[in-house]
Amino acid sequence: MLKNMSEWLLVFVVVGIIILFGNWVGYSVVPLDALPGMLVIVLLCLSGFLLEKFLPFKIPSIIYIAILGVIASIPGLPWAEFVIESTEAINFLAITTVTLAFAGVGIGRSWADFTKLGWKMVVVGFCVLFGTFIGSAIIAEVVLRVQGLI
Amino acid sequence: MSEGIGKLWKDWRLYAIILVVVMVAEWIGSREISIGIGVILLLPMLFAFIFGLGSFFSPLIKEKQAKNSESLVFISISLLAAKLSVTMGPALSLLVDIGPALILQEIGNLGTILIALPVAVFLGLKREAVGMTHSIGREGNVALITEKFGFNSPEARGVMAMYIFGTVFGAVFLGIISGFLASVTPLHPLSLAMASGVGSGSMMSAASGSLIGLYPNLESDIIALAGMSNLISSMIGLYFTIFIALPLCEKLYSILIKGKEKKVKSKMDLEG
Repeated sequence: MLKNMSEWLLVFVVVGIIILFGNWVGYSVVPLDALPGMLVIVLLCLSGFLLEKFLPFKIPSIIYIAILGVIASIPGLPWAEFVIESTEAINFLAITTVTLAFAGVGIGRSWADFTKLGWKMVVVGFCVLFGTFIGSAIIAEVVLRVQGLI
Repeated sequence: MSEGIGKLWKDWRLYAIILVVVMVAEWIGSREISIGIGVILLLPMLFAFIFGLGSFFSPLIKEKQAKNSESLVFISISLLAAKLSVTMGPALSLLVDIGPALILQEIGNLGTILIALPVAVFLGLKREAVGMTHSIGREGNVALITEKFGFNSPEARGVMAMYIFGTVFGAVFLGIISGFLASVTPLHPLSLAMASGVGSGSMMSAASGSLIGLYPNLESDIIALAGMSNLISSMIGLYFTIFIALPLCEKLYSILIKGKEKKVKSKMDLEG
């Protein structure tokens, strides 16, 4: 088990380093300045994985990570300031670039299946994605306006 | 998920390729294409996706790397979730204020049915249309549909098609469309941020990423809302599908198909 955990840690560290480099090239944050924030993020992920492993509930690790992250960043708690400030150095977009780079490589495997979809399926597919996005945006807009928040 | 992780960290070839892809993509930076009515925003993540996909077809990437890459998407999304969640703590009061909108916009997911189902039926799709348009067709939906209709049913073929389409194009398409809608419609970036949480981590990050590219000063609010909305979608989305979206989709399908048959029949009567 411990071996498994240290291997997770290694994977997180390697991916974290790639993100730090992307963060440097794209957003001019020197990796050393962003390091504390990355450590906080990696620690949150590992804790989430541990909780998933040891708690008896069938809840995916990502939910635990989210809950821990919120708790770690509620203003007023002694550690919150450090958590918020250090993680600000890690640009959200720097992580998405890495995510989509991995996705691009992995998706190559689905490419053959994809080319078998007919054009009708592709048209409908676009409508599905557009539909859920615009539907949610319009409802959110209406509610926010009714509430007078925007 | 934990099997095979022992080999995952050793795949240096993959890490080296990804590092190069990411650095080049970030170096290119974000580009805006103005198309008259609005802008199409091309972010580094889009370039990274294209280079990644391109490298799959080069001899550099073997089956092993592509397989590992899929697990690493999950790792990256976990990191993304951690980054998202630490922006939520400071945004708690905003999240409470916006709570009603956050919950209600979940109903907007029915937009898949209202917009895509008529198109599917018009194009001549049959029961596949139900599988394709009842939701955005992620893992949970595939499981639900195959369980309910059987693995070889047309509905299952439909949801699998949507799954494949979404996997390949979802993030790229939503990334472009969210930036475009932000520039051509009066929709507020915070509304679009909530809409970004469609229930898939990569789609959410691409869609909200484009918004951040256009409204950098709203970055933390956009992240917090998109993340929260995505969390809600992934937690209640499947129940919403089972009890509301799928029955509604079936109902609307039978109405549309009847209407279509009637039309065809009256046309035949006229011609006959």
